[in-house]
Amino acid sequence: MLLKLSLAGMKGKLKDYFVLLSGLVMTISVFYMFQTLSWNTEFIKSNAMIRNIQLVFIVGSVLLSVVTILYMLYTNSFLLSLRQKQFGMYMMLGAKKKSIKKIMFVETMVIGCASLVIGITVGIGLAFIVGYLLAGQLNITLEGYQSFYLPAVLATFIFFIVVFLCTALINHIKLSRVQVLQLIYSDVHPDDMPIQKKKNSWLILLGLISLSLGYVSLIFMEKLREIGLFAAPTFTTLGTYLLFIGYLPVIVNRMQANKRWTSKGVTSFTFAQLNFRIQGLTKILATVAMLIALGAGAISAGLAFKNSASQMAEMMGAYDVIIKNPNAEEKALLKNIHFTEENQYRFKEDPDYTYYLRDDLENQRPLLLVSDGRKPKFKRVTEDLPEGKISLSEVKNPEVGQQLSDEWDRALWNLRTNYRVFKQMIVLDSETYHEIQGQEKLMYIGKSDKFTDYLHEWQGIDKLALEKDPILTADDLTSKYSFYNMYSSFTSGTMFMGFFLGIAFLAMMASCLMFKILSGASKDTSRYQMLRKIGVRRSALSTSIYKELFIIFLFPAMVGLAHVLIGMNMFSFIILNPYYRIWVPIIIFLIIYCLYYVITVKLYKQIVLPKE
Amino acid sequence: MGSPVVEVRNVQKVYGKKGGNQFKALNDVTFSMQEGEFVGIMGPSGSGKTTLLNVISTLDQVTSGEIKIDNVDITDMGQDELSDFRSQKLGFIFQDFNLLENMTIAENIALPLYLQGTPAKNIDAKVVTVAKRLGIEELLQKYPAEISGGQKQRSAAARALVHEPTVILGDEPTGALDSKNATSLLETMKDLNDRQNVSIMMVTHDAYSASYCQRIIFIQDGKLHKEIHRSATRELFYKEILDVLAQLGTKNA
Ligand SMILES: Nc1ncnc2c1ncn2[C@@H]1O[C@H](COP(=O)(O)OP(=O)(O)OP(=O)(O)O)[C@@H](O)[C@H]1O
Ligand SMILES: [Mg+2]
Repeated sequence: MLLKLSLAGMKGKLKDYFVLLSGLVMTISVFYMFQTLSWNTEFIKSNAMIRNIQLVFIVGSVLLSVVTILYMLYTNSFLLSLRQKQFGMYMMLGAKKKSIKKIMFVETMVIGCASLVIGITVGIGLAFIVGYLLAGQLNITLEGYQSFYLPAVLATFIFFIVVFLCTALINHIKLSRVQVLQLIYSDVHPDDMPIQKKKNSWLILLGLISLSLGYVSLIFMEKLREIGLFAAPTFTTLGTYLLFIGYLPVIVNRMQANKRWTSKGVTSFTFAQLNFRIQGLTKILATVAMLIALGAGAISAGLAFKNSASQMAEMMGAYDVIIKNPNAEEKALLKNIHFTEENQYRFKEDPDYTYYLRDDLENQRPLLLVSDGRKPKFKRVTEDLPEGKISLSEVKNPEVGQQLSDEWDRALWNLRTNYRVFKQMIVLDSETYHEIQGQEKLMYIGKSDKFTDYLHEWQGIDKLALEKDPILTADDLTSKYSFYNMYSSFTSGTMFMGFFLGIAFLAMMASCLMFKILSGASKDTSRYQMLRKIGVRRSALSTSIYKELFIIFLFPAMVGLAHVLIGMNMFSFIILNPYYRIWVPIIIFLIIYCLYYVITVKLYKQIVLPKE
Repeated sequence: MGSPVVEVRNVQKVYGKKGGNQFKALNDVTFSMQEGEFVGIMGPSGSGKTTLLNVISTLDQVTSGEIKIDNVDITDMGQDELSDFRSQKLGFIFQDFNLLENMTIAENIALPLYLQGTPAKNIDAKVVTVAKRLGIEELLQKYPAEISGGQKQRSAAARALVHEPTVILGDEPTGALDSKNATSLLETMKDLNDRQNVSIMMVTHDAYSASYCQRIIFIQDGKLHKEIHRSATRELFYKEILDVLAQLGTKNA
């Protein structure tokens, strides 16, 4: 009988249960997605460029678990609040507390298990789709990546069963303590009154300190190593929560106190509503800020790794291509490329030496790469070459040798095509050069307008080079492209993880915030109805909702992005310039976030401002 | 007496869709209320009192007929116009208080002024004046959750008055109050009516509350049943009301 009653009670709140269930499903599927990578140690080890990648995943798991548990506590108290009043009524009519508690327990577990099954299924689907799309987009093959990964399924299952059991237990205890009357009036009392906000200087101070510690560890990650890897997430997270809890209500309070803003039309209500809510929102907003930081951070890192291959290649040398004796096929490929500089040097070789002609070098002074560590810069060789007639026997003598200037030494050193053959390079005047026996050859070097625009051509040229010289293997080539290729194959795995986790975290962020806002909506409905009654235009209420949610969305976005901007420092030891084009991921994030804001507003409006 | 502030002509209200389960809650109701009148509406439960008040207060639309407030026909206004109309011309006192829990009493009372765009510097003075009149000036900085039911009702009344509306409409404003608080609210309303010439229309179940009115309109099954005027003391009027109610009761039986 009671079961029937409880089912009947659920029916009336289908919308709320839908919000609850979708929130849970989202959390579980994101958790699962994370686990597919986290437990697949082989995949992450063989695909990551970061030595401590395992540690990154452990830290990530801990953070995600904390966020998940917090989120679950919210969903649970929401579940309880959905039922409290009804339970109170049943008890007043004579139902025993024991059976009420049983119903609540069963309900929690049923909802938990249902969302777990759906959530893992959705998670597998999401992991597959995201993996598939990313692999396609990034042009990489993912060896060893599995969207259905049994250890991940088990881990997710166990984690959530434990969490659901705990929440069921919490409900049990809560119900044991309360009186019937408290249950009946449960929707009137608890947060009907804005708590008087005392400025909590201690919280704010502690928050500032730990946030600074977190930022310092992020910036000096390379020096702090493992300590940094633990300190950065711990302190940053702690600082974020403390600041949101301590400072956000103060800010909103100040905004409300500004009568010039708040005494116009319905704005007074907007800020009152905001002030009223903010107390209950601080933790969730801090969570959202962290998730934004993680999500946008992971995507930015992914993009940074993607860009880093071409940057690294640029740092390899001034010239994009170096070909010994270009043949017809190679020349055909070169035709497709727009070069900003092309040079050709005659040379002869014998088994031990390579001889360059001084006039050629003098007439086409090559460029040298002078890097400042971040950005490639170029400089033309200006130093002098050996002058006058050069005695061959003298320069061949290892004791005396040929004293080339530093710049020329490096410039000639760059005129290699592979690691296999090392020959000393000698620069000769034309007279001596012509005395050398052997066939004259050409060394061709070229610098294109943009290396990454001709990847296809470079690849072809490398292939031809190997065909020309059968003793060489791909690993022997010193070409810019071979380096680029090798580096990208390193980065693609890391990049994939970045994007994958970024998407997962942003999805979690979306569901967190949406859940919190929508789950409170039914309670707000009566307020909006009342305002309608006393004559506030629908459009004014709509504006009020847009404003209120905008402010709510604004704070976590600002803090989250600040974390990202500081946090990218962390990668500076592995990526040349982690901030290269950082605005791309940030703009992508902002677009998604705005869309998501509009959707939330629309959904919220549907609940609190029903059509007339 | 002045000109009519509320004119209700041949109003019908039908609930439910055509062809479906239809119910006529108001059936050809016609009456008017003069400026400065204090009118009560009584009748058995389900007779259509709330429905009548809702259509007059523009919260609900009539099926047919015409309603004029302050000589403006409200039956063919758009939603936005209606909103503006409500915020300027009407004051509401609902049975369940309907204060916003997220605002202080002062902010609640000031809400209609904010909505009308009253300059911020004038708002405080007006709020204090009206709060004094209702004896709640000590409560202004509190939140609704911190005050009693009677105090809430008086705050709601203050909110209904603060912007000096043409008509105040109340649906059982004393319904949730004990007799002491009810009396104090009624005295206040009477006082407003007497001294400030505020027009008041109030639905009530309770003959004692109704005895504060000058005129009572009885409705039954959606139709006007009877109308009585107060001519002598309140005590006599009270008895007269009881008589009508008894009559209605026996008819129902
Ligand atoms: N939204 C609605 N849909 C259908 N019928 C309705 C609706 N609202 C009210 N009614 C019906 O219209 C009739 C009049 O209702 P109304 O609320 O006006 O009564 P009332 O006189 O205020 O009663 P009470 O004294 O109990 O408050 C009732 O029979 C009621 O069942
Ligand atoms: Mg009624």
